[in-house]
Amino acid sequence: MIITFQNVSRYYNEWPALENINIQVQEGEFLVVSGPSGAGKTTLFRHIWMGDLPSSGAVEVVGFRSDRIRRSDLALLRRKLGIVFQDFRLLSDRTVYDNVALPLQVAGTSPKAVRRRVFSLLAEMELNHRRGSYPHELSGGEQQRVAIARAMVAHPVILLADEPTGNLDPEVSRRVIDLLIEINSSGTAVVLATHDPRQVPAGTARFLYLDRGHLVNPSSWDGYEQL
Amino acid sequence: MIHLIKNAVREGFLNIKGKLASFLITILMVSLSFMVFDIFLVVSWNMGTVLKKEQENVGIEIFLLENVTEVEAVNLADIISGMDGVRSVYYVSPDEAEAVFRADLPEQADLLTLLGPQFHLPASIQIALHPNYRTSEKVGGLARIISGMDGVEDIVYGKEYLPGLTRAVDILEELVILAGFVLALSLSLIVANTVRLAVAKKALTVQIMSIVGAPGWFVKMPFLGEGLLTGIAGSTGSLLLTGAVSWMLSSSLPHEFLPGKWIMLVLILGASSGVAGSWLGMKSGIPKPRS
Repeated sequence: MIITFQNVSRYYNEWPALENINIQVQEGEFLVVSGPSGAGKTTLFRHIWMGDLPSSGAVEVVGFRSDRIRRSDLALLRRKLGIVFQDFRLLSDRTVYDNVALPLQVAGTSPKAVRRRVFSLLAEMELNHRRGSYPHELSGGEQQRVAIARAMVAHPVILLADEPTGNLDPEVSRRVIDLLIEINSSGTAVVLATHDPRQVPAGTARFLYLDRGHLVNPSSWDGYEQL
Repeated sequence: MIHLIKNAVREGFLNIKGKLASFLITILMVSLSFMVFDIFLVVSWNMGTVLKKEQENVGIEIFLLENVTEVEAVNLADIISGMDGVRSVYYVSPDEAEAVFRADLPEQADLLTLLGPQFHLPASIQIALHPNYRTSEKVGGLARIISGMDGVEDIVYGKEYLPGLTRAVDILEELVILAGFVLALSLSLIVANTVRLAVAKKALTVQIMSIVGAPGWFVKMPFLGEGLLTGIAGSTGSLLLTGAVSWMLSSSLPHEFLPGKWIMLVLILGASSGVAGSWLGMKSGIPKPRS
């Protein structure tokens, strides 16, 4: 297992953001975590990259346990993860190339290896012609592809995508989901948070539903019928 | 590791490049604050030099009774030269005293002629002291011992001005330390505020770096470097400005500029307050990654 949640609960001022969550994710799996706004999807993601730690229970991600992790281990854990956000989080004062190269640069990769990897990845994602552009010069779809390229550049074991299509039109959203499926088919585990699980074709992923911090049976989720 | 360090340095330069104007303004502010300190140091240094020169002249002069022979005087000088705190002794015979009097006060030389050949200036022993014995308590203690010796008629050691001189030197040293402390603290706050603003401006960069796996030191190093550079550049700028002012005033107000050791002290103070300021700024400024 590359991700394990064992009876994880997280409370903010006694308010339960997550309650008694048990999840296991295997290597190379595609997991879709769905649920309405405020269901706890983002909190769950924060626990995976250990930007937040459980109030009780434990999370284990690629061998790092939340109850034993040291501050210095966080960087090592996060180098094994790629993270994509709804609002892209690209650095506006850096070019596409520099944004994508960042995870390699902070890991101490040699400039030659950085160049080789970034060029090949940008070519793969059809962004090579945009490598000198700044984020504000790109369309929303291009920005999200750059964000995915940044998440993938260091060959992560797990790609976490938190509502990656939230700011995109349906056509661009479909292409982003296709890209995630393609990434998953090459062996990288993908965990996708979305409020609209219909974006992901049935049979390509395992689906989990969160509602008010609890994992629920899809049929008992209020919003399921409207999907 | 070497690439990581190179990239951290590059991040530092990117930080500065992104806000060159505000960085230069901060350096100017630091320079001006340090200039106040530098001017205070120049004044202190020159006052200190004058006071130290005065202190170097602190010694004891013993006037001997008329009946003390030259042999007895030399013996007394030998005993005194073996005492703690005495660096050297010099016996001044009546003839030498008269020669000195005539040389130093030629306009009053007639007075000796008037008093006749029977009058002799008293023989004396001049005592030079080790530097750490030039305080009023130590000189006073030594003078009390010597005044009880046979053949001593009078003893002179500047007991009127010596306590004031010693106190002035002490106060000056305390003032320099206090001003250095206050200035280091205020400079640290200036730099801390600047770095805090820089961190706030770079919040997304800091968050993303942390999320993509940058080690903590990699995130912090550019800001620490910025603080260090601000401190060094600010203190260097202040020395140049103070040097220019000092040069302009040198003809109308003769004085010395700071010695090398004090210049180094200003630079070290600048560098350390810059780093301390960055550390303070980062402590309150670096955000936790949010999702």
